[in-house]
This record gives sequence, structure tokens and C-alpha cells, in this order.
Amino acid sequence: MFVFEQLKNTDKRLQALAVAIVVGLVLLLGRLWQLQVISAKKYRDFLENQTFRTVRVPAIRGKILDRNRVPLADNKPAYNLNLYLEELQPRFYFEYTNSVKKEFTNRHPNVKLTKPMIVDLERKARYSAVSNLLFQVSDSLNSPKLLLEKAFHKHYDQMRSLPLTLLGNLSFQEVAQLLEYGTLDASLDVEVEPRRIYPYSNITSHLVGYVQREQEPEKEAQTGSEEDQMNYRFWVPGYKGLKGIELAFDSELRGKPGVKTVLVNSNQYRQSEELLEPPEPGKNAVLTVDLEIQKTADRVLRQHGNGTRGAVIVMQCQTGDILALASSPTFDPNQFIEGVTTEQWIQMNDQELLPLFNRAVYGGYMPGSVYKIIVGLACLENGLNPEENYYSRGEFFINARSRTWADTAGVGNFDFRSAFAFSSNPYFQHNGLRTGPRKIIQMSRQLGLGGPTGVTRGQESGGYLPNDLELEKSSGNQWMDGDTANLCIGQGEIIVTPLQMAVVTAAVANGGKVLQPRLVIQVESQEQNNPAGQIKFPAAQVRHRLSVKPGNLELLQQAMLADVEYFDPKRGHSGKWGTGRSAFINKEFRISGKTGTAQKYVKNVKHLITWFVSFAPFENPRYAVVVVIEGGDAGGSTCAPMARQVYQTIMETERKSSG
Amino acid sequence: MFEADLNPREFRVDLPMWLAILGLILVGTAFIYSATSIHETDTLWQRFQNMPVGAFLAWLVPQAYSKQLIAFGIGLCAAFAVCLIDYHRLARWSLVVYWVSILLLAAVLVNGIGTRRFGAQRWIDIGFFSFQPSEFAKLAFLLLIANYLSRPVEELSQPRVFVKLIAFMALPFLLILKEPDLGSALALIPIGLVMIYIAGTPAKYLKRMLGGGAILVALLVLDVIVIPPKWRFIPLKEYQRERILVYFGASFVEPDATPPERSRALERQRAKTYNIEQALISVGSGGLAGKGWRQGTQNSLGYLPRGVAHNDFIFSVIAEEKGFSGSALVIALYAVILFTGLRIANQARDRLGKMLATGIVALFFSHIFINIGMNIRLMPVTGIPLPLLSYGGTSVLCTLIAAGILQNVYIYRKSF
Repeated sequence: MFVFEQLKNTDKRLQALAVAIVVGLVLLLGRLWQLQVISAKKYRDFLENQTFRTVRVPAIRGKILDRNRVPLADNKPAYNLNLYLEELQPRFYFEYTNSVKKEFTNRHPNVKLTKPMIVDLERKARYSAVSNLLFQVSDSLNSPKLLLEKAFHKHYDQMRSLPLTLLGNLSFQEVAQLLEYGTLDASLDVEVEPRRIYPYSNITSHLVGYVQREQEPEKEAQTGSEEDQMNYRFWVPGYKGLKGIELAFDSELRGKPGVKTVLVNSNQYRQSEELLEPPEPGKNAVLTVDLEIQKTADRVLRQHGNGTRGAVIVMQCQTGDILALASSPTFDPNQFIEGVTTEQWIQMNDQELLPLFNRAVYGGYMPGSVYKIIVGLACLENGLNPEENYYSRGEFFINARSRTWADTAGVGNFDFRSAFAFSSNPYFQHNGLRTGPRKIIQMSRQLGLGGPTGVTRGQESGGYLPNDLELEKSSGNQWMDGDTANLCIGQGEIIVTPLQMAVVTAAVANGGKVLQPRLVIQVESQEQNNPAGQIKFPAAQVRHRLSVKPGNLELLQQAMLADVEYFDPKRGHSGKWGTGRSAFINKEFRISGKTGTAQKYVKNVKHLITWFVSFAPFENPRYAVVVVIEGGDAGGSTCAPMARQVYQTIMETERKSSG
Repeated sequence: MFEADLNPREFRVDLPMWLAILGLILVGTAFIYSATSIHETDTLWQRFQNMPVGAFLAWLVPQAYSKQLIAFGIGLCAAFAVCLIDYHRLARWSLVVYWVSILLLAAVLVNGIGTRRFGAQRWIDIGFFSFQPSEFAKLAFLLLIANYLSRPVEELSQPRVFVKLIAFMALPFLLILKEPDLGSALALIPIGLVMIYIAGTPAKYLKRMLGGGAILVALLVLDVIVIPPKWRFIPLKEYQRERILVYFGASFVEPDATPPERSRALERQRAKTYNIEQALISVGSGGLAGKGWRQGTQNSLGYLPRGVAHNDFIFSVIAEEKGFSGSALVIALYAVILFTGLRIANQARDRLGKMLATGIVALFFSHIFINIGMNIRLMPVTGIPLPLLSYGGTSVLCTLIAAGILQNVYIYRKSF
């Protein structure tokens, strides 16, 4: 080859030149090999780093549906007017040259522009171009708006390749107007963004909960999940569940965000974009709740008066499905999407009403006479003869502490049924003391008190039961008979939640199955009839089967029926009805229940917690309804009528579904 | 070969060299097209169909690639013309050509004749083309030095002859330096040195020259990098100093800089290293096979500045789009030309032919090495074009005339 010919040249100096050229070319080739083959990956990474911007694309959040698939939490399209900055470059330039002409060329022709002056003029030109555009567009909608200068510069400096939202949440009319008048130039686009909406705002607020805009996780705080490890350049937030089902099923509802890459040019403007990984839409959650019953539960609380503090729970006795779960006062979860005003925030955080507090699952109350269900069952199990009469003098004494308890059942003889129906305190205190606190607490524990029920993944309070140690304490704050007597009428050392009492009532009604309440039937794909990703949560999960004689449960059911239906003509002036009489509907749909009115003294002021727990129909129990009101008059007069209204709605719903 | 030498009717065009030149012309035009037609959505053919012929031509001709093709055409004609006259007769005109080019170099410095671009006065605008006298000066310089060195070896050992030679070399060097165009000026040095060396100048002169050159370079580097501003003795322009700093990866910040000065210096450093860093990213990200013609993003997204992508940094565009294979092919084509040149130098019938051929080889090689070297951070950034690939009419014209002279030496190697 001629290269070697030259290397063997006879002219020594030409030969040296040939060698030098070969060395030079080999040097170039070697360096090119190093750059393009050995370090190619490094330079490709540099290239990607400077030209690609990864953008997180939040997935559309799943809906929350009631058992008939009525959406309780939905996504509505929100229309935003977005500005693509790269399309505005000619206008930026135009503004800039204009301002240079105006400020310098005409006025100070001898001033030479320095670099910082140019940068500043360019900055101002960009702002004025965009703010003019915004004014022009918003003026055509008859609501002229100003562009926030700081926010604009921040967006331009940090997120130039992403569109800037000029006008958010436009109405249909505004969108139509914008499109019709052709005010939209190439840089503007009306785009749709899913916005969370709660169509039944206050009615389902405690149950469904609410969401907030996600916050970008701190780099150090990343937990190492796949999503966290993705190093997004632009972290676009979706929604994050903060309470209720929105929180409990957040990971299912949220789905998986996708990734978009935006190709940017050397001025950081967007050149093109590509959806690298489409987001995986979140799943829908189908609840056990029946919106119609929920509405009634909410309505009865509302009807009781402004600022009612209380809860209503409707549960299916046999399956544990919760049909309604209402707490009062309520709040409007949509406010969290629109942005909570200071006034609203103060309202939501009222220290007395606690509107954000879900009393149905977090509310810890003394059960009062409602607890006699458990005391009674413990006594029967431990040898109480239900026929045996006990003469009540209308009050109860304990010598040890000289404590007395008043009673509304009156003086006279009581057997188990009448004592239960008229809620005689002395009867249950006498027999409770005979049975002993240990047995009563044991029975409570069997029925699931003193611990969580297992609903909504830990969003509940477990209440309080004294443990064995406290009963055995021999010094100091020693457990006395007076404490037992207090416990027998559901006062003192015991705290239960309305949901726990619903489980207890259902267990009595269904023959001793302590159920795990169910709130979510299943999560499923947002596409209809797509079985992929469906997760079912089975109904009728029995947490514990009571080890009691079936006859005793029947006795208890009878006693609860008597609380609503029993009439004793010999008592009082003209006879006396069971305390839960006002829950009565008719003999076709017989309601069995127990009233309760717990007294609590806070700073010597008496506070009443009124209860009505019930199940129906008596012959074939399908529903348990629990009503709690703080500061009611009495369980029988305050809560029982509310329960009746709920049952009426249930009957209607049953009629509709069977017809 | 030896049989061929006996054949008087031998085909006397050096085919491999011209094929390599043709190859480079095609590559050059294709990548100037790639580098300058980023925003074209229509292909040329689509445009041709959609436009009236007159409008199409009116649009086509001012495009960079068209201008380049026209320059190639003119250059090839010039090369052919050069071949018609025996190089001995050409060499007789070398002194005239030399002084004309010196005049042009002086004229370009006069305001009103020379055109300023990017802070340097290097061009004379003559309407359709603007023309760069320093490119012609290189050829004129080469012609004169070759003629001068073609005298008998014995004369070259006389100091008087040698001093005169140095003076001939220094004149264009200083004028080009004044434009300022440090790169082109420095490029004269290797050409001169190679020619002096091949001419058989005694080793002691060469050693002295090389030693002097080495001391000069060392002083330059010392002056720029080590010595504090007060004590600097070489009057360099700020941008020239910065280029050397960039090459050595040294900081722009002066040792006694105040914080605002410091931040300004760092800002400038970022700006100055930007081009070379983007060129490296272009070349490196091309990989083995490249991204494909017109598929490179460095150029189309503007990271490789538009002003230089099609001229000084055209090699980056080729390397990004065609990868190592493309870069190697380009170097192979150059190798063909360089070694053909060396062969011609060897076969030349007299010292003049030999001097001309080696001068042209040195001219080509120094340009190739400096330009490609600057694209891959082997050499500092200078405005030296890549022969036949960079956009620029004067460079193309001069390169082809030089190739014509090589061919001329080859043709007349046997005419006595």
C-alpha cells in the first residue's frame, strides 16, 4: 500500500514526515475511538441530561362508588387555558426590540447596552408579552386578570419546557367563548385536567374522606419504592388521600404515574415530547354503603339540630356490611380541592364541634345502659335465672364507698326481661356484682370491645376496657365493688365506639358471630367489565364466635324486643312502655333495641351521651342500627326515633329492590 | 509503476487523490446540508415540485450547501487551469502572488475594505462571496517559500539566505495576527518548518528554530496561565488568552479577583468552554455507528451553536451522525490525499516540485489535525477550517488550487 511505500522512502526527511503524519492520524483515530467507543455512554448520558426532561404524569384517580355504583368521589374534567412558551419566542423578541427602541435607541442613542441590561430587558419583555396576552384573553371573557410577575418568572426559569396555566378551572361557557371568538393563538391551548369532586359533599364526607395535592417527596425521605426511585425532572402532583376511604385505599385509588419525556433545545424550550410510559389509572373502590340509607342517616342527624354531635351506623347483621356511616357535624370535602379559606378552616377546626372528627369510628363514649346487653349476657351465662325477680327500691347502695345510683325504671319487682325493657339499674348492678367484673369484662372482650374492629385499615379508635391488672390492684386506686356497680350500667371505666356497638348488636342478632365490619366490597379497574386487577374483600368475616348458650342469646333478643314493644299496665300511673318504644314501626318489621344515657361530669357540668342500639326485623335479623348523640335528652326520646326513620328508609330500599 | 513510467501516453491524472477529493466534497456538502437545513420540513424534491422553477432556484442558490457546491465547481475549474501551466512557470510568479496577498492582508485591516465578524476583521466582502485573504496568503506563502527553498542546498546554509527566509515568513504571519486570527497565523509555522526541513536545511538551523519555537510556546503558556496580570509581556487579546486557558482546562479567575470579578470570570469560562463541551458531547454521543444523517440532536436543538456547526465544527456534526465509522472514513479519505501528496513529492523531478508537494501536504495535514483536534479537545479552539468539509468558499477554492498544484507536479514530473 502507498502508505508503507512512503514509510520506506529513501529520502530520510520525507520518510520522517510520513511517519509524523501517520502518528498524527493515529492520534486522531485513537482519541476518536476513546470518545466515540469507550466513553460513548458517558457522552450519551450528558446528552440525555441536557436534552431530555422527564415529567411525571399522575394517573387518573379511581372513583369511590356506593354498592349500586353511584359515584361518591368522582373526577370531573377541569378546563385550563395553558400557554406554550416556546410558541411565544417571536413575540418575546418583538417586545424586546420594541423596548430597546423605546428606552435606548430613541432616548439615549449613545448608551451602549451591557449584558446585564440586555438580560433585564429580555426578562421584562417576556413578562409584558405574556401579561398582555393574558389580559387580552381574560378581557374577552369579561374578567380581566393580571399575571403574577414572580410566579411567571419562576415558571420561566424552572419549567420553561412545560406549559404555563394562565386560567384554571374555566366554565363550559368560558371555554366555548374562547374557542368561538378565536382569541386562541397558536401558543394557547384549552386542556383538560381531572379534578376530584364529591357529588354528595357533606353527606359522605366522613366516610369517603378527602384528598390533597401531592407534595414532591424529599430526596432523602424516599422509601425506595419503584415510584420514588424514578428521578423526575418535573414532578407533577396528583392527589393524595388524607382521610376516610381516600386515605385507606389511597394506593389502589391513586394508580401508578406515567413518565413523559420532553425534548428541549439549547434555550430550554420544548421541542417535542413523548409519552414514555403511560400512567396506570387508579382502581375504583366499590363500597358496601347504600347512598339512600346514608342520606337518611345524615338527614336524621341534621334534623336533630344545628351543631348536632353524633353518629349513625347501619350494618348488615349477617354480613357485617356497613350500609351507612354518618357522623355529625360534617364538612365539605370539595373545599379541600378548591382551596380552604381561612374562615372555612376555622370552622372545620371548631374545638367543640370538631367537624373533621369522625365520631362513628373514632368517637369514644361511655355506653351507659346499652352496656346492659353485655352485662346481661355475662350474668345469664353465669347462672342468672331470668325468671327470678329482684325487688328494686329505685336506687342502689354500696356500703364500701357509700355510693348511690338513681334509677328511672322505678320501684318494684323486675325479672330479666322487664329489667332490660325498663332499664333497671339496681337489677343489673345487683346481678352484675354477683357475676363479678372479670366475667363482664371477659364477655366484653369476646364481643370485640377494647380493640379495633378491623374496618378501613386502622382508621378507628379501639375504645377502652379495664384489663386484669387493674381489677387485681390491691393498693392505691383499687378496684372496688362501686366500680363494678358503675360498670354494670355502662359508666366509669369503659369507653366504646359506635362502630363497636354495631358489631356487638349484630353479634347478638345473628346468633353469636362477632363480624369484621366491611366497608369495601372490591377494588376494580376503571374500565367497565375489565376483570384485571380486581380484588374482592369477602363479606361475613367472623372474627370470633361467642361461646354462649344459644338460649341465652334468644333471651337477650327477646329482652331487646321488649325494650321497644313491651307494655306493663301495672307500672306507673297508667302503665309503662319499654324505653325504646319510639323506635316502633309496625308488627311486620319488628325492631329490637336498647336505649342508653350515659352521664359524664366535666368540671361539675353534666354531659349526656344518649344511645340507641338496635336490630331488625326481629324474626330474621338483617340490620343493626346504632345512633349516638352527644348532649341528647335520653336514648329513648332522642335516638330511638332517629333509628326508626333509618329503618323506614331501609324498608323502602328493600321494597324497591324486591319490586 | 515502473512500466508505466516508460509509457509517454500514460493517464496522468492521479485518480485515487481525485476520488478522495470527490468523496470529501460529497460528504462536505451532505453534512453542510444536514447542519443548515434543520428547520426544513420539505425535502428538496418536494420543494422543487411545489415551486416554480425560477423561485426554486432563487431560493436554492443562496443556501449554504449550494454556495459550497458552486465553490467546489469554481475550485475544480481553477485546479484544472493550474494544471495547464507547468509549475515552473507558475513558480516564477510566486513573488508577485506573494506581494499581492500581502497587499490584500494589509487591505483587510483597513476599515471600509475589510468586514468585521465576531470581533475580527478577516473578510473582504465582494457581493456574492465574501473572501478571506488569509486563506490565499497561505497558498502564496507556500508558493514563495517553495520557490525560495528550491535553490541548491549549499546556499541554504548561508545565514543571510536563512534570515531572508524567516523575514518572508514573518510578514504574513504578523499581518494575519493583526486581524486577529491567531490560528491561521500559527498554521503558517508548521508549513514553513516542514518545508525548511525537507529542503535539507542544516540540522543546526532546524534545532535552533525548534528550540526557539519551543521557548516561545512555553513563554506563551507561562504568560497566560502562571504569571499574574501585571507582569504579562505578550499582548494577547482576551479571547485568545481564554482559548488557551480553555485548552489547558485552567481557571479564568485571576488570583487577585474580587468576588464579583470572580463570578463574572466563571460565567465567561462556562460560556467559552460551552462550544468545545458541546462538540465533545456531539462526537462522543455518536458512538460507533452514529445516529444517522440529519438525526443528530446536538445541532438541530441548537446545543452546537448554529454559527459554527457548519464550518469550524462540521466534524462534530459528521461524528455525531455517522459515529466512529464515519469519522474513520473521513480520516481515511484525508490519508489518501496526504500520502498521494507525499508520493508526488518523492517522485517530483526537481527540488521545486518536491518543495511544493511537501508544502501542500503540510498545509493539508496541519489544517486537518488542528481542526479535528479542536473538535475532540486535542487542540485549542481556533478558526482553522477543515479542508473540503467546512463551509467557506475561500477555503474550498484554495484547497482545490493546492490539489491542482499537486496534480501539476505529478503531471510534469517527467517533462525535462
